[in-house]
Amino acid sequence: MNDAPALILAVARGLYYAATMLLFGDLAFSLLIHAKLPVILPPQDMRLRWSALALAMVAGSAWFLMAVAGMAGTLDVQAIIQTITATLFGEMFGLRMAALAALALVLKRGARLAVLLALLALSLPAATSHAAAASPAGFTAIGGSLDAIHLITAGFWIGGLAVLLQLHRRGEPNILLALSLFSEWAMIAVLLLVMTGLINAASILLGDTGAPSPVYLAVLATKLVLVAGMLGLAATNRFRLMPQSRDQTIARNAALELGAGVTVVLLAGVLGQLQPTL
Amino acid sequence: MKTILLAMLLAAAAAPAWAHAKLQSSDPTANSSVKSPSLIRLVFSESLEPAFSGAILSDAAGKKIPVSASVGGATITLMPLSLKPGAYKVTWHTVGHDTHRINGSFSFKVVP
Repeated sequence: MNDAPALILAVARGLYYAATMLLFGDLAFSLLIHAKLPVILPPQDMRLRWSALALAMVAGSAWFLMAVAGMAGTLDVQAIIQTITATLFGEMFGLRMAALAALALVLKRGARLAVLLALLALSLPAATSHAAAASPAGFTAIGGSLDAIHLITAGFWIGGLAVLLQLHRRGEPNILLALSLFSEWAMIAVLLLVMTGLINAASILLGDTGAPSPVYLAVLATKLVLVAGMLGLAATNRFRLMPQSRDQTIARNAALELGAGVTVVLLAGVLGQLQPTL
Repeated sequence: MKTILLAMLLAAAAAPAWAHAKLQSSDPTANSSVKSPSLIRLVFSESLEPAFSGAILSDAAGKKIPVSASVGGATITLMPLSLKPGAYKVTWHTVGHDTHRINGSFSFKVVP
């Protein structure tokens, strides 16, 4: 990855994931709060949701156009039509754009449907991920499913943190209840996230006969260090600060965690464009 | 700790895999000498996007040889008419489902 289009593609891919993760996690955790904690009114920050939706559409389109240019060696109408009609990536692009368009129609109402549509927009790219393509013949659905779980759990973690920060900003008196609910679900999400991440990385790197690319390993290592930092912050919040009800420090840590999470997602965008082995 | 061990076990059990469609094998093989082949088959490490994958055959002078070509699954097949003795080069380009484009080539000789 050493030219401008590849860099634009990597950034667009990362931004698409960041936006759809925020959307999905925000909608899913808000729905969970609504169902489990009637004393708390979910934040429903529509400006954040509309911004994330618009970013997902723009970044998704940029990702598509750069991918077309990379596949066809040129960017013209014929290459675009050929990609949409004759490639798996094109079909998935059509479906996720349709999911985002439908999400725009139900964003203000229909919370369950909105969660489902955001989940689709977030997880459909897994069908054309390294993990799916790297799976042996007949096992691409397993590789793709593992990657989809990886994306969905990361989305719940990142979007959920955004909801907690919104609750803190408005001075929600029952924020510790929300934090406790989040911890309960985030622990399962993180467990699945780490497991699927390890399996995907091993499947991509260990199965190839070539040596791992140093650049790929460096980006992967940076991603893992950041994830380890996020886990440390999450554990500190859950096991040390929550029992002491230290809201301010918890909120600061959650903001740091969210920042690290978005950086991790952007790095994942870069990883998807790098050749894993030499 | 149990989770990490479990994840490592699952990772170790993962089937062999590759990222990006690389050439795994070809018939004729690279740098081999063969009698005029009726089929030239290239097998790649993952499924290809037929719309953006293909191969061409050229002779020692770089002149393109007309062939009938097909792309299916992870295989590109070229069907040349009878090839005269001499050196030939297969130049291929592939795009896998992950959208990455890879190029490559190999040569072989046709002997009488």
